[in-house]
Amino acid sequence: MNVIVVGCGRVGADLAYRLYKRGHQVTVLDTLASAFNNLEPDFRGRTVEGEVLNQDVLRRAGIAHADAVATVTNSDAINAVVAHIAHVVYHIRTIVVRNYDPHWRRVHEAFGRQVVSSASWGAQRMEELIYDPNVYRVFSAGNGEVEIYEFAVPEPWAGRTLGELLPPDQCAVVALTRAGRATLPDRDTRLEAGDLIDISATLEGADALRKQLAKP
Amino acid sequence: MFVIIAGGGRTGSQLTMLLLGQKHDVHLIEHRRDILSHLHRELPTEVIYEGQATDLRVLEEAGIKRAQVLAACTAEDADNLALCFVARTQYQVPRTIAQVNDPRNAWLFDEKFHVDVALNQSEVLASLIEEEMSLGDMMTLLKLRRGQFSLVEEKIPPGAKAIGVAIKDLALPEQCVIAGVIRKGKMLVPRGATTFEAGDEVLAVTDRQGAEQLAALFAGPRPVRPPVP
Repeated sequence: MNVIVVGCGRVGADLAYRLYKRGHQVTVLDTLASAFNNLEPDFRGRTVEGEVLNQDVLRRAGIAHADAVATVTNSDAINAVVAHIAHVVYHIRTIVVRNYDPHWRRVHEAFGRQVVSSASWGAQRMEELIYDPNVYRVFSAGNGEVEIYEFAVPEPWAGRTLGELLPPDQCAVVALTRAGRATLPDRDTRLEAGDLIDISATLEGADALRKQLAKP
Repeated sequence: MFVIIAGGGRTGSQLTMLLLGQKHDVHLIEHRRDILSHLHRELPTEVIYEGQATDLRVLEEAGIKRAQVLAACTAEDADNLALCFVARTQYQVPRTIAQVNDPRNAWLFDEKFHVDVALNQSEVLASLIEEEMSLGDMMTLLKLRRGQFSLVEEKIPPGAKAIGVAIKDLALPEQCVIAGVIRKGKMLVPRGATTFEAGDEVLAVTDRQGAEQLAALFAGPRPVRPPVP
């Protein structure tokens, strides 16, 4: 794959190096030549210095022949604008945008590209770990709007149904594992202590579940 | 009209004062502390909204949902582009205007980002200066179509090529029309048979290239300045 990485800060340098190590052709762009010092010494992709909104700079980077573009500078505006150009002018199919400032999230959503919001995601993950380390997050969809959680059924809930335990909305059942065997349960399934339950839920749903688990 | 202006720098604040003076309803968004303190001294408090224009909550608070015009005048081209894009796609603002800070980014300021009008100050200024240098005595009275065409006026000096030639026989540039001739204080409606005399003031509508050719037709036999040694 031919990939263009716009921005060579921590995220850009790491992403470029990973892609290079996987055998892809990588071109990294940055306005400052000194940013390329962030790259691992054995990185052998191309580096292009220049203003990234400049059409000549984009052409020099070979954007017309790119399979994928990742915009990962620490300016949300630059990331959104370059991604939009890649989409409407160069018809790149795979485009990923870094969301730096959480306040910018809705503008990114308006542009409609795939967005990675590492700041919001990190803060939310920490928030969950602070609330209750006993409900584990095992998978995160989108930017963590919906996540899959796993928890063990505590003693007081044995004999009652899954429907009684789970909050009525903001969550859906994924799997129940009993004695190493996973099944697809429904809300009428009777619980046993130590059952491992996987559910997908929003942050509010997970919060409601934690409150349920805490009260006998 | 209700106008939202993003960015209270020189252009934004000047525009705000101008529009307020014409009794328009204006809200100005700015986040830089030092600039805000300036603005508060010059503008009524209810006009100023503090915050980042690219934070949609701030835009909404400033009333973007009922804005008739968004003028994006921040110092960052990418912000101006994103603002025009969200104004149209999220809030259906009927008219968007954006300031171009770096002329090299001018190629982005069009329908790609829903920019209706791009204000490229450095380009406008540069072409004005260039025109002043190359067109000699020709005067631009009016700019049409964002400066693509102009209404120009030129006085025909004695000895000019065009004297005594009928308009229909004059090799006029393609994108150029003689709109009027003022002779001895009277306006003549030009016809194909009209001939020019020394001292005529000619009004023409023309594009940039046409203006140069016209200037050459109407130029007098100027003494050539010897090259500087």
